[in-house]
Amino acid sequence: MNFLELFGRNLRRGPYTEPFPFAPAAPAPKRLRGRIVFDARICEGCLLCEKLCPSGAIRFARAPEGMTFDCWHPTCVFCGTCEFYCPTKAIHQTNDWSLAHLEAEKFALAEHGLIPSIVCAECGGKGLDTAPNVSKIRPPLSAEELAQLRARCPKCRNKFLRTRGKAS
Amino acid sequence: MTNALSILIAALLFPGGAFALTFGLALKGADRRLAARLQGRVGPPLAQPFFDLVKLGFKRMMAPTEAFEPMFFGAPLVGAAAMLIAIMLVPIAGVYAPAPVTGDLIVLIYLLAIPGIALMIAGSASGSPYGALGFSREMAMMIAYEGPIVLIAIAVALRVGLAEGSAPTFSLAGIVRYQHAHGMLLFDPLMWPAVVAFAFFYPANLGIVPFDIPEAETEVLEGPLLEYSGPALALFKIMSALKAVVVLGLGVALFMPLPLAGLAALAGWIVEMLALVLVGVTAVRVATGRMRIDQAFVFFLKWPLMLALLSLVVAAWSTMGGIP
Amino acid sequence: MTVLARLKDMAARSPWLYRINAGSCNGCDVELATTALIPRYDVERLGCQYCGSPRHADIVLITGPLTKHVLEAAKRVYAEIPDPKVTVAVGVCPISGGIFRESYAVCAPIDQYFPVDVNVPGCPPRPQAIIEGVAKAIAVWRERL
Repeated sequence: MNFLELFGRNLRRGPYTEPFPFAPAAPAPKRLRGRIVFDARICEGCLLCEKLCPSGAIRFARAPEGMTFDCWHPTCVFCGTCEFYCPTKAIHQTNDWSLAHLEAEKFALAEHGLIPSIVCAECGGKGLDTAPNVSKIRPPLSAEELAQLRARCPKCRNKFLRTRGKAS
Repeated sequence: MTNALSILIAALLFPGGAFALTFGLALKGADRRLAARLQGRVGPPLAQPFFDLVKLGFKRMMAPTEAFEPMFFGAPLVGAAAMLIAIMLVPIAGVYAPAPVTGDLIVLIYLLAIPGIALMIAGSASGSPYGALGFSREMAMMIAYEGPIVLIAIAVALRVGLAEGSAPTFSLAGIVRYQHAHGMLLFDPLMWPAVVAFAFFYPANLGIVPFDIPEAETEVLEGPLLEYSGPALALFKIMSALKAVVVLGLGVALFMPLPLAGLAALAGWIVEMLALVLVGVTAVRVATGRMRIDQAFVFFLKWPLMLALLSLVVAAWSTMGGIP
Repeated sequence: MTVLARLKDMAARSPWLYRINAGSCNGCDVELATTALIPRYDVERLGCQYCGSPRHADIVLITGPLTKHVLEAAKRVYAEIPDPKVTVAVGVCPISGGIFRESYAVCAPIDQYFPVDVNVPGCPPRPQAIIEGVAKAIAVWRERL
């Protein structure tokens, strides 16, 4: 009489129900794949996430003030591919699942970011303030060299790295 | 004059109409709450069926173009009206005794068939194939369970009537009076097959799992009730709440009326009805799954019918000189 | 007018849900079944119950990008739901097409065909997110009664 045991247990123990929405929800698991967050400071500008996104939710666009980043959540499928392939984890997922919204706010549910343009410190041309990809360079760069690298356009960055080893 | 007034009060206020509707909906709310607790959930508030009824009053009432509208809208009206009258015939031991009518048990059994017929007419008047399916299944279920209830009624009437030395009494007030004098029929071993048959009959009559085949949501998309919306659907909910009070009140009057009086009797009656609902309806509903129509039909033709027949035979034999 | 307001408050405590699967992969439908049936996410506390007929529904939950096959059927079923009603798009597919956005068979976003009120993104959304969306829909429905 298995069901009688179940009845007794349920009546004694009380309901299993989570009190949401009448009380705050239980904390979400840490690795839950939720809303996307973009940190423009550490983005390298490789655009891998835009190429790999299966639903085309991530768009980068050139604008006079730099490169804009947009991720529209109502088409993101929360797969985590962008975070997996991002070299610096500039784009990563939080565990925020609370995204329900009214229809009028449909287009407000997006993550925006901007990588500002710079004027190159060496040649005066146009560049972007992306984090440089220097994880494999030996010997590792100091903070001051990183700042100098960051202020250059891509051609001058390559020149800087090539002449760095020979300048001593 | 006072007779007409008392009939009006009995039909519309107590024990019919307002009281029966409130009590029936409260029974349904208690059933949903206890079912949720048995399943480990919180469940809706006890007044939830009232909220459902109020909400249905705000919705738009629609009818399909192929429906036959006089029958489509008339079926729930007829069903609810029949149940209002039927409640007047059910005695509440010690509180309310219906005006003596010869053979009121038979009239009650006839009136109890009307909600089922209203559902069938609703199904066929909807003009939808799911309604037609619901109609045929409701017909099969009614054939299955009307046999046992008629035999149970005759068995009880025979037992009570012949034990008092006269013809079988089909008067519910007389049956209740006999039980007050000689002890409840629930504890009478000769009537135990009838009690068991009644315990199978009333879940089927009220449309509770495992016998809620005509109104199955997943199989025939709610069958006869498919095309109803708004106040017409509210009338069907009212009809089923009133029917619950009538059927359970009939069971209490036939087998277990308490020999109390006044307010204590009313409280005792309410407790007995709650017990019938919680044990026979809720626990069964939560523990089982729905049967197929052929399984349910064959089941009713086997066990409840045979048990009721057995009870009838035993009741007749006992008073013809057999067991006292 | 307070009697009417109190009656409307009572009516708002019993919203009945109806699902339309408009070509969904069934991920969101499984989550919808989860919110109703699992004791942990009981949606009956809010007074909701799933009804089997569109004529009994108050809150319509639409899942799936509207595929071309199901477009006419979904429109017909939607027209059978009596007013007042609230439409909730569950999952990212009805809002924008989700991962099927560039398919030739998909007619998303569904707000070209149905007046959607609440969106619940997620692929599939968590049961708590669905309950949050349903709670928002109940607030919208209370306005409309």
